[in-house]
Amino acid sequence: MILRTPVPKKRRPESVVEDLHSPVSDRRLVRYEEPGPITAVEPSDEMVCTYHCRQMVKSEFMAALNNAEKQVAEYQAKLELMNNELTQSEDERTKFRDSILSLEQKLEASKGREQALQERLLKEVDEFMERYKEQVKQCSELEVQLSKEVDSRKKAELSFTSAKERATDLEGRLQRLSDSAEREKNIIKEERQHLQDDSKLSARKMTADVCFLERMTLRAEISERESELLKKQLNGLRKQLDECLCEKNALEQKLATYPIPLQESTSSEDKNLVKYLQEQIRGYEAEVQEARKFKAFHTNSELLKEKLIEEKGRREKVEVELSKLQDVQLSAQKLELELVSWKSLLEELPDVSSLSDIPKKFAALQKEAIQNMMEVSELKAQLKQLEVALELGENKRQHYEKESCLEKQRANNAALEAKRLQMMLSSVTEERDRLKKEAAMLSKLKNSHESGPPNETLVKDLESSLADRENTIKELQTNLHEQQGVVNHLHDELKILSEQLSSEARRVKSLEREGDRLRAEISLLESKLGHGDYSAANTKVLRMVNTLAVDNETKHTIDSLREELKKTQSKLQAIEELKGQSDAANIIDDGIPEKLAQLKSQIATLEKREERYKAVFAEKISIFRRACCLLFGYKVRLNCRRCLSVPLGHEMSFVSFNRTIGFALNREDPFAANRVKDDEGAALDLATTRGLDPSLVLNDHPKNTCECCATMAEASELMDEAEAMEEPPSMMR
Amino acid sequence: MGSRTASKDIITLRGSAAIVCEFFGYAANSILYNRGIYPEESFVKVKKYGLPMLLTQDEGVKSFLAGLTSQLTGTHLKVLCLFDLPSYPFHLNASQEWMEAGKLQRVVLVIMSRTTMEVLERWNFSIQTDAEVVEKGLIKEKSDKEIMREIQAIMRQIASSITYLPCLDEPCVFDVLAYTDMDVAIPFSWIESDAKLIENPQMVKLHSFDTKIHKVDTLVSYKNDEQD
Repeated sequence: MILRTPVPKKRRPESVVEDLHSPVSDRRLVRYEEPGPITAVEPSDEMVCTYHCRQMVKSEFMAALNNAEKQVAEYQAKLELMNNELTQSEDERTKFRDSILSLEQKLEASKGREQALQERLLKEVDEFMERYKEQVKQCSELEVQLSKEVDSRKKAELSFTSAKERATDLEGRLQRLSDSAEREKNIIKEERQHLQDDSKLSARKMTADVCFLERMTLRAEISERESELLKKQLNGLRKQLDECLCEKNALEQKLATYPIPLQESTSSEDKNLVKYLQEQIRGYEAEVQEARKFKAFHTNSELLKEKLIEEKGRREKVEVELSKLQDVQLSAQKLELELVSWKSLLEELPDVSSLSDIPKKFAALQKEAIQNMMEVSELKAQLKQLEVALELGENKRQHYEKESCLEKQRANNAALEAKRLQMMLSSVTEERDRLKKEAAMLSKLKNSHESGPPNETLVKDLESSLADRENTIKELQTNLHEQQGVVNHLHDELKILSEQLSSEARRVKSLEREGDRLRAEISLLESKLGHGDYSAANTKVLRMVNTLAVDNETKHTIDSLREELKKTQSKLQAIEELKGQSDAANIIDDGIPEKLAQLKSQIATLEKREERYKAVFAEKISIFRRACCLLFGYKVRLNCRRCLSVPLGHEMSFVSFNRTIGFALNREDPFAANRVKDDEGAALDLATTRGLDPSLVLNDHPKNTCECCATMAEASELMDEAEAMEEPPSMMR
Repeated sequence: MGSRTASKDIITLRGSAAIVCEFFGYAANSILYNRGIYPEESFVKVKKYGLPMLLTQDEGVKSFLAGLTSQLTGTHLKVLCLFDLPSYPFHLNASQEWMEAGKLQRVVLVIMSRTTMEVLERWNFSIQTDAEVVEKGLIKEKSDKEIMREIQAIMRQIASSITYLPCLDEPCVFDVLAYTDMDVAIPFSWIESDAKLIENPQMVKLHSFDTKIHKVDTLVSYKNDEQD
């Protein structure tokens, strides 16, 4: 808008300056210096002279004024623009100031946080260093333990190899032992087979003997029967012979009494009669011969009987031997069982080559057991130590795991923090760049407009703050790098720790396995200890003799021993008395006590034998009495009225024979006498064969009482019964 | 018996040996009663170790156990033998103090079948002697109450053993074995014997007691019922 100003009066140049100093003018505006025509326009006389000149000047002035107004307007517009720009820049400046303040606050906060982070990181670094040192120490200790474990493992492996070698040696020896045992077993089997074969042979022989004996018995029976028949015939023939002899005697007597003339008439008859009688005599002689044959046959039968008895005795012996064979077989079976047990023992026991080695092996095994027990105790102690170390290791592992987790978390947090700082840094750098640009722009504006000095100071302050921020940012970057380096280092340490943890875990497992193995060994050894095993080299097992179950038996045995002792003492006294009575006092014999002992033993054995013989004799005599009674016609009766003098003052029953004869016979009868003698001889023979005292058998009693005796058949039956009843006395064995 | 003072609870070797032998006597009686080796009416109740303990009145068993314990302790009293022969030679010099000399390693009470003499149970009392005490005659300290408590626990366990031990249906007899060192002279009334072991036994470990001079571990092994 064109401001119409009055025509300027001739103003003095001072008024123009006042105008400038008027309150309307703004000092802030740039001083405008009009060109000369406006100020230098002075009305001169020349212009007054003419109106045209004035109008021309006015027009020129007006044009200049218009131009000036236009310029002013332009300048005002520009000023407004500048003012606006100024306000804007002021607003921006305030904004920047606020932002700078906030940034400063943030920076300070970040500084504080950085410091706290640094302190914390330093602390953590210190702690990690300490832990690292501790871990290094523990690692060294673990390495030492590991080396020890390795050494122990090597030792164990060496012992294992040595044990393997020993085991192989033992297996070889065991095989040898088993072979030797098998050989011995085979030998024993062969011997057993031999024995069995021998026994079978002997059994067969015995059966054959038994068959032979049976045949012989049958033959004997047959011969006995034949002998009986022959005896009957003999008796008949004897009777006939006696009758014939009587007739002969009568005839001879008659012939002697008959006259001689009559002899010629009767000579033929006599011859015939003589012939007849001679024939009869021949017949009788033949019969007598037959009777004699029968008698011989009878004697043979008796011999056969004796043989039968002998064979029976042999059979009994064979039976005894058979029973012994059974005992031998039982003993062989026992031996086999023992052998099997020994074999099993040998199989169980290594390093044993013979039975005599077994006690030594037992001693060695017991020593080994004791050593094993000691080792077990040591291993127990080691196991406990290992368990303690294991628990410590596990605790440490857990602790390390926790620490590693914490460190991981811290590392993650540090990484996050670093990322956040990086982002902050990037944002701050962006702001810085932006501020730089704006500062540059402002400086450019400053240079173009040449405004007041306060803007420069602000820019300088901004620049200085920016420089400070840059420095801090650089420091933050360096710290970030350091922290990243620390984090990487921590990651590496974490990896190492995890590896150590895995190795420790493996070691823990191996220790647990070893612990289980040791516990199994300990339980085995404890079971052996509880089982009652012991070392024969160091220990012996004793028990009291006076157990309650043997109480009464011992008392009885002691009583019997006492009695024997008394007897021996009495015998000793008797012997000593005898010794004193004899001339043994002059003869000093050094071997008297020994002789006494020998004599005592002999006395004891003889007494035992005597008792045995008495028992046997009592049995045999009863049988013999009956047999004698039946066979020979003698009945034995016990007569206790008379006592014989027997050593030791024992009474003995008096044995007497009552002769029982089946038919009337006189003592003068030669045949009867012969018969009696024969019977006595047979009795004697029988008595001797049976081991009886003949003097006791034949004690002739003057009684001639006759009693009927059994027939030969009954006698033979009784003999059989007697033989069946005969058993070798147990004492005789 | 033994030089134990109530005020200071001091234990000597002799006193400890007496305690152990006394324990063994009562334990043997308890086993005989609980396992039914002898009839119940032959036992009398007495108070010992704070418990009602049963002692046999059978003269044979009493004399046997008395002779046994006298041998174990080595007290030079008249040995109550089962047969009393004045002319019988007693080798008392041989019956050294097994326990006091530390020569006794174990005492085992064996229960056997009367008919087959098969070993059915073994009550094993292992004895560990402090060699230093034997050599130097040192004195140890331990409370009597503590020892009695430990023994009481063992006696309770023996009484409760009938819950897991197999029943002894047949008549049984018992015997006692002593495991000694090799250099021990065998007394007249003792002979060497086998260990009378059980094949594949079941074992139960009981408590132990310790007098600081002698430590006694108790273990019972019995024939496995399944084997039958």
